[in-house]
Amino acid sequence: MSLNEVWEAASATPFIPLIGKDSQFSVGFNLLLLALVTATLFVLNQSLLGIVSLGFPAALAFGFGAVFMICAVGVYV
Amino acid sequence: MRFFTATVLGLLAPSLCAATNITTPSRLDLPSGFKPPQVFKNTNLVRNTNLEKSYVRETINVVVENVDKQPQNDYYIPFPAEVFDRVGGFEVRDKKAPEKGRFDVDYTEAVSSDGNQYFVVHLPEPLDPKSQITLGISYSVLSSLSPLPATIGQADKQYLTYSFSAYMPSAYTTVTQKTKLKFPSTNVPDYTTTDGLKSGSDPERKGVTYTYGPYDTANVAPGTEHQITVRYEFTKPVITVNLLERDLEVSHWGGNLATEERYWLRNNGSQLTKQFSRVEWTFSNYQQAPTSAVRELTYPLLPGSVDPYFIDDIGNVSTSRYRPSVGRSAGSLELKPRYPIFGGWNYSFRIGWNNDLASFLRRAAGVDSDSYVLKAPLIEGPKMAEGIQYERVIVRVVLPEGAHNVRFEIIEGTNSNGLPGVNHIHAHLSSLKTYMDTLGRTTLTLEVDSLTDEARDSQFVVTYDHSMFDALRKPFTIFVGLFTVFVAAWGIGKIDVSIKKR
Repeated sequence: MSLNEVWEAASATPFIPLIGKDSQFSVGFNLLLLALVTATLFVLNQSLLGIVSLGFPAALAFGFGAVFMICAVGVYV
Repeated sequence: MRFFTATVLGLLAPSLCAATNITTPSRLDLPSGFKPPQVFKNTNLVRNTNLEKSYVRETINVVVENVDKQPQNDYYIPFPAEVFDRVGGFEVRDKKAPEKGRFDVDYTEAVSSDGNQYFVVHLPEPLDPKSQITLGISYSVLSSLSPLPATIGQADKQYLTYSFSAYMPSAYTTVTQKTKLKFPSTNVPDYTTTDGLKSGSDPERKGVTYTYGPYDTANVAPGTEHQITVRYEFTKPVITVNLLERDLEVSHWGGNLATEERYWLRNNGSQLTKQFSRVEWTFSNYQQAPTSAVRELTYPLLPGSVDPYFIDDIGNVSTSRYRPSVGRSAGSLELKPRYPIFGGWNYSFRIGWNNDLASFLRRAAGVDSDSYVLKAPLIEGPKMAEGIQYERVIVRVVLPEGAHNVRFEIIEGTNSNGLPGVNHIHAHLSSLKTYMDTLGRTTLTLEVDSLTDEARDSQFVVTYDHSMFDALRKPFTIFVGLFTVFVAAWGIGKIDVSIKKR
């Protein structure tokens, strides 16, 4: 099967990104805001429970938020 | 349709991301004193030379007969060594069945005895004794036109000369042959008239077409030359791109295909006799008079192209205009260089734009598949009536980080796509580290020499695998980094550094 036939066979499944271009800024901004708030709360009360309940979601939100924000500003990573 | 598939790398493990698998086209090394075996005869040969553009495009239809007692399948086409590397998009097909695709062609090194280099055409099936096949041979020859006079005034007409042999250089005896030249206009002030090669006037002129021959060359030894030179008006720029670097960057997170092209451009037309006059240029530009300078480049962009930019060594060039596409029609990027590019002048610049990835990328085997297939133009480039020749083109397809099992294919149609065979395209995989990358992005690099804008519509298909883990590498790396900072902050905060009695 040639690669062009693979392309033709896949006509029903175009690539759909997780977050569309129009929503990248709002999603990225909100996630970064969430990361800032939770990270601030963690810094105010550093505890083992705080790492799990605040640090973990803050790091997760920052990870995804940073990726979407850099895409939103035109650097498509 | 016939397709060529090349598997570049089987599996690119993350730890081997920097590894490359270079496929370098090789050339056959012929022994000194090599002469192609005289097993064929060209019964009839018609060469069509098109001089309408700033390069030479030749299409040769030749009826080949096997005069040997054994079936034969290797047909040699000679070129002088100094011309060989300027031959671009070489392609041979069965003229009567072009849909069967191009024939495999090998390139040879120069033979020291006669200084020739050969294209060795492998017929798909050996040609039986006394059988015939009609070959359709097409190629372009770059940088074979010389301006004469070499220097002109700013508003003068430009003339180009082209020299060739009335007898087509061939490794085999040719019974009859003729050459049809097609000029861009009827203004052909000088051309060679032959004497004694045929009865009647030679060439025969009909509008913009000049025909040399037909000649009866059954008794002429192969390789015999009879020099012809023509000089014709070509008041257009001879646009030559010394190097084009084209990057296509695939972003799954951004849903974007970013294209950037970097051009090193030169006008190989007549140089200016005197210093450039801005006043004279403004005057002739206002009249839209024909000029040998590059005034503007028109670049059609695919529908959906957005965010175009045009930058040169100084910075943003504001004298460009973008007419976005409406519906399915192509957009148009009109680039006006910072200064008109006259003969001998150089200009380097870069342009880029974005497209939605959904138009170019599909999941290869269902929605949940980790395998993707990308189809995009190999070369786009400005669309100019005078044509553009590219001495070297480097296309980089930057795939997402962690992409592996990369394969590519150049799409072939029933007509020439202006490219050489896939075996003559340098392809290799490498890793490119840029924003937010840890391992680097898998990059497929395709390098082609001697192309023309005939290759504008060529397309390629790339398939690759990219798992969910590969996709999550970027946010996960940032997550791990920040989480480590939090744990470290908590850990450091637990250390008791107070000064007190233990």
